[in-house]
Amino acid sequence: MLRKLQSNAPLALFIIALPGMLHFIIFKYVPLLGNVIAFQKYDMFRGISGSLWVGLDHFVTMFQYADFANILKNTVILSFYRLVFAFPAPLLLALLLNEIIHTTFKRTVQTVLYFPHFLSWVIVGGIFIRLLHFDGMVNDLLSLFGLERTYWLQQVAYFRTILVTSGIWKEAGWGTIIYLAAIAGVNPNLYEAAMVDGANRWQRMRHVTLPALMPAIIVLLLLRIGHLLDSGAEEVLMFSNPLVRNVAEVIDTYVYRVGLMDAQYSYTTAIGMFKSVVGFILIVGLNRLAKKTTGESIY
Amino acid sequence: MPIYRSERWFQAGLALFFIVMGIIMLVPMLHVIALSLSDSHHATTGHIGLLPQGFTLDSYKKIMGETRIWRSLGVTVYITVLGTLISLFFTSTLAYALSRPRMPGKPLIMKGIVITFIFSVPLIPYFLTVNSLHMLNTLWSIMLPTALGAFNVIIMKTFFQGLSSEIFDAGSIDGCSEFGIFYRLAIPLSKPVFATIGLFHAVGQWNSYFYALIFIRSKELYPIQIVLRGMIVNADMAGWVVNVDTTYSAETLQAGVIIVAILPIVAVYPFLQKYFVKGAYVGSLKE
Repeated sequence: MLRKLQSNAPLALFIIALPGMLHFIIFKYVPLLGNVIAFQKYDMFRGISGSLWVGLDHFVTMFQYADFANILKNTVILSFYRLVFAFPAPLLLALLLNEIIHTTFKRTVQTVLYFPHFLSWVIVGGIFIRLLHFDGMVNDLLSLFGLERTYWLQQVAYFRTILVTSGIWKEAGWGTIIYLAAIAGVNPNLYEAAMVDGANRWQRMRHVTLPALMPAIIVLLLLRIGHLLDSGAEEVLMFSNPLVRNVAEVIDTYVYRVGLMDAQYSYTTAIGMFKSVVGFILIVGLNRLAKKTTGESIY
Repeated sequence: MPIYRSERWFQAGLALFFIVMGIIMLVPMLHVIALSLSDSHHATTGHIGLLPQGFTLDSYKKIMGETRIWRSLGVTVYITVLGTLISLFFTSTLAYALSRPRMPGKPLIMKGIVITFIFSVPLIPYFLTVNSLHMLNTLWSIMLPTALGAFNVIIMKTFFQGLSSEIFDAGSIDGCSEFGIFYRLAIPLSKPVFATIGLFHAVGQWNSYFYALIFIRSKELYPIQIVLRGMIVNADMAGWVVNVDTTYSAETLQAGVIIVAILPIVAVYPFLQKYFVKGAYVGSLKE
């Protein structure tokens, strides 16, 4: 038996891969199929096979519910802010980092910029909450200039700014890696040729570096938009509090709060499904558009 | 190439910009360190900048004297170490098999893995799956379901493919089975990628709180991030006995626990940095 196994490489390889494949099936595909409970009145004790089927009831409820309109609006606005401010940040940083000649300085800067990525959202949240406290450092600084102290964390108007800013603080440096790797792959001859042709720094960036980065930018943008309705429950839950709930409640936190805490499994699974379907449509549609217009695509 | 005057000005401007950026990155952390080392009087009346005022180690003494902190640190170390080993087992076996030309069904399996990039796992069905496996309120719920990710499999597979196939062929001519080749040749030759994926996963495991938040009910099983979150978000300072006459306060204790939770990351960061750029680069090629 063992001898036979040793001589049969494909079978042996299949057995080696088996734990991983089972893991994928159990923890990725079974939950995906578990989405069917969105069409049921799911009862935990009866399971999927024993629960009542209700068709599209939960989806109808969802679209009629005023709460849903609000969380959808919050989710989209937050995503939009991130797309406009957080998405280009690593690109700009990478373009600037690339211009630094002094190697040691560049490495030091990178070390510092990458670091926050490795902190948890609890820690980043904790740090920002401390900074933005009424007696915190931000207010101390402002009052130095004679400005009023503000309850930053309790005000609806600042919630999204805080969330997007802390996200940039945490991830912008890390996000440069992908762009720097792409820049490193550019043939240096292109730069030399451009310089011989008399291209200045701006023109070299415009006509050599940016085109080289285009594939990375488009792939990242497509993935970002495909996850447009994902807000990151970890980070939103850190900064949300009852006073800002009206703008802080996004799909992810709603599913967590209403779905898990109040055990509304079926209804919130329907909302989760809505989220994935929108993401899927966006990613497929935009991928096609990108392929047509720029020739770049993710598959 | 000579450095022109305009170039020198440009470089100076860049340096200034990045020094400011560096300060923006570091100031928040320095502030928290300063706060954790200040006494309660100064901390409560606020106005601590980058230097501790009324320097004292009392909040750390208090934190170090708390069994719940030690217990949650123990839980976190446990899920980080064991979870990383589990992750490396699942990731390396799958990645190795997929890197071998004779692996049956390879294109289909690869497609199956890439699809999980696009569809994120739905939260409620994920919860119900873990629940139906009777893993709720056990540390398995945090270690096992997160062990395998598409991204890590692809990075590792790319690495295995980069190894010289002659060595594997030689091994198989010498009578090594696929198990033998994996165990005796692939693993020893792949220390860098094991270190990369291992460190990535370890940091993720150390940092994650959401799965612990939804799966763990018993306080004895709380990882440090959950304890810290309780202190920050829910102002869960009950039992910390913060009196008027103590030299620590809620603020300094929170800051202290933040620092305690950052320290291990700071300790592994130099090693991480050695590996992560390569790992992220491989990932970016494939994404």
